[in-house]
Amino acid sequence: MKTNYLFPHRFKWISGILFVISFIALIAYSSMINVEDLPLNVWVFAIVGDNDFFGPTDYFIMTKNPIMDELLVLSVIVSGIVLAFSKEKHEDEMVASIRLNSLAWATIANYSILLFCYLFIYGFPFLNVLMGAMFSQLVIFIILFRYKMYQFNTSRQDEE
Amino acid sequence: MKNNIKVQRAIFNLTQQDLAEKIGVSRQTINALEAGKYVPSTVLALKLSRLFSKSVNEIFDLEEGD
Repeated sequence: MKTNYLFPHRFKWISGILFVISFIALIAYSSMINVEDLPLNVWVFAIVGDNDFFGPTDYFIMTKNPIMDELLVLSVIVSGIVLAFSKEKHEDEMVASIRLNSLAWATIANYSILLFCYLFIYGFPFLNVLMGAMFSQLVIFIILFRYKMYQFNTSRQDEE
Repeated sequence: MKNNIKVQRAIFNLTQQDLAEKIGVSRQTINALEAGKYVPSTVLALKLSRLFSKSVNEIFDLEEGD
């Protein structure tokens, strides 16, 4: 089965390690409370932004922002996509079919969870839902696909 | 869909691993095929047909409900 959108298998381990580390780091970083102490507070270019929380929205401005979270999100998303869409050791059409199946179920599960959260979480805590929604589909897909591949790879050898 | 890959494989005296290598899939895929858990693509069906020198119809058969 020839597929042209998958990354080479050798990227799998490195992206996996990077994904786990940066994902944990991002969660730890997000739970830090004291915003003033955040590291790497630098000037960044913003297409849309404001320099003050209650100020007017400006376009194409320079603004000061702690960029640690930007770096972590970049790392989580890039390594997550590479991890999710790199070739298996024995890539064949059944693996492609398992991948597609997992992707469909991950999408359904993700939107079910999002809908539930949208209907039953209100106010400030909903911001956490929005933050989580950035990664939930990718994370659910990776877990589901890895679980199904584990089941597939350990399927009983049925020889006579 | 039913298939008799297991029988054909026995005729040619191949293990699942041998057959997997010959048609370029993993051993688990052959296992799933024989167990009827996976319906192969046309390409894979034709590869099996060529390997066993049998027509696709002789290897695969429709079941009630297909």
